[in-house]
Amino acid sequence: MVMEEMNHESAMVTPGEILGKSSELRPGRGAYAVAGGNDIYASLTGRRSILTPPPDSPDQRPIVEVTGHKAHGVVPEPGSTVIARVKRVMAKMASADIMCVGEKSVREKFSGIIRQQDVRATEIDKVDMHSSFRAGDIVRASVLSLGDARAYYLSTAKNELGVVSAESAAGATMIPISWTEMQCPSSGQVEQRKVAKV
Amino acid sequence: MATKRGGSASSTTYSPWSNQKTRRQKRLDLKDPDWVRADGRLFHQCRPAFFRTGAVSAAAGSAYAELGDTKVIVSVFGPRESKKAMLYSDVGRLNCNVSYTTFATSVREQGSGHKEYSSTLHKALEGAIILESFPKTTVDVFALVLESSGSDLPLVVSCASLALADAGIMMYDLVTAVCLSCHGPNLILDPLVEEESHQDGSLMVTYMPSRVEVTQLTITGEWSVTRIHEAMNLCISACSRLGEVMRSCLKEAAATTDDTNE
Repeated sequence: MVMEEMNHESAMVTPGEILGKSSELRPGRGAYAVAGGNDIYASLTGRRSILTPPPDSPDQRPIVEVTGHKAHGVVPEPGSTVIARVKRVMAKMASADIMCVGEKSVREKFSGIIRQQDVRATEIDKVDMHSSFRAGDIVRASVLSLGDARAYYLSTAKNELGVVSAESAAGATMIPISWTEMQCPSSGQVEQRKVAKV
Repeated sequence: MATKRGGSASSTTYSPWSNQKTRRQKRLDLKDPDWVRADGRLFHQCRPAFFRTGAVSAAAGSAYAELGDTKVIVSVFGPRESKKAMLYSDVGRLNCNVSYTTFATSVREQGSGHKEYSSTLHKALEGAIILESFPKTTVDVFALVLESSGSDLPLVVSCASLALADAGIMMYDLVTAVCLSCHGPNLILDPLVEEESHQDGSLMVTYMPSRVEVTQLTITGEWSVTRIHEAMNLCISACSRLGEVMRSCLKEAAATTDDTNE
């Protein structure tokens, strides 16, 4: 196996190693600076890389990041897009198990809930949960907030969010036919869902 | 078939030693400044340490460490969802558990002793982990001592911080730990079980080498301030050396996975 030439910019660093001076660099992901200190330290194991800042930011120092050599266990963060499977549908909310965050799957599922007012953007008080989701549907949602102790708050109130894949009562994977309907290919039955525009 | 051994009324299980009389003679010589340690080390010399990460594939991160005969394996799970009963918290939670196998000590034991090691490990590690990076979730650290031959808890702490680094949990720095035992005028680093069992006092330091910060200090016995300073300096320099070994282990492991991915 040919070892690629590792220049100084992409050397392996371990937590606690000094990456540079805070006067010259800004800490990005995987790095931190001590308040009142001079140095930027690494907080992960991985490769050190330097990014140029976006031209419109007020602080023009380059950003130093440590990209983990191993997929850091992903945790849902507000604003991230997740894939979840609906567990239960109730009158005012649906509970779902978050299985993927972004493009990475989680090792152990997290609990999320989609409240009635977060299902879609229009006419939010007239939402019927049972016409939007059923148990077992795979939905794409975005994390609104950390929620409470039990579950993250999810939202499907965008065109590209909503049911991505669902099974009909007959057991076949349904095909979306409109924003609010999906049809079973074997029985022809049409069922109501909040469909995501893929 | 019972083997008859004279004078050992305490244990009813088979024990592989038969030289208990010679051990009792050695105990009387410990206060002698010319005393030599059982394995021939100098007073301020630690046993060679071996670390390897990625020992447990089911865990998010894991590490195996040996310090002489003491062997420890630590697995880290997380960040994963906290139990439903836990209250909401803005920062992450750390949950530590240290257990001994039944065959870890020379005499088989149930493994329910050393319950306080779990809370000591928790205190040593929580200062080093950036809890704000995983709000509302829990990181579980499970340490298992496979063989205990002195200086168990410091090795557990060092191994646990390697496992956390292997799991990709954000930390301020690695945590290294060394303990020291006091016998009369002598301070000896990295004591063995026999040396620990009749020490006058002990001191354990858990230290972050790059940040130059002590996360925890545990002292038992009677110490004067000057002796504490002397002992802490010894421990901190040993911790720094241990830190170098741990970093090179992490870099090697990271470089190997990088090669296989390319």
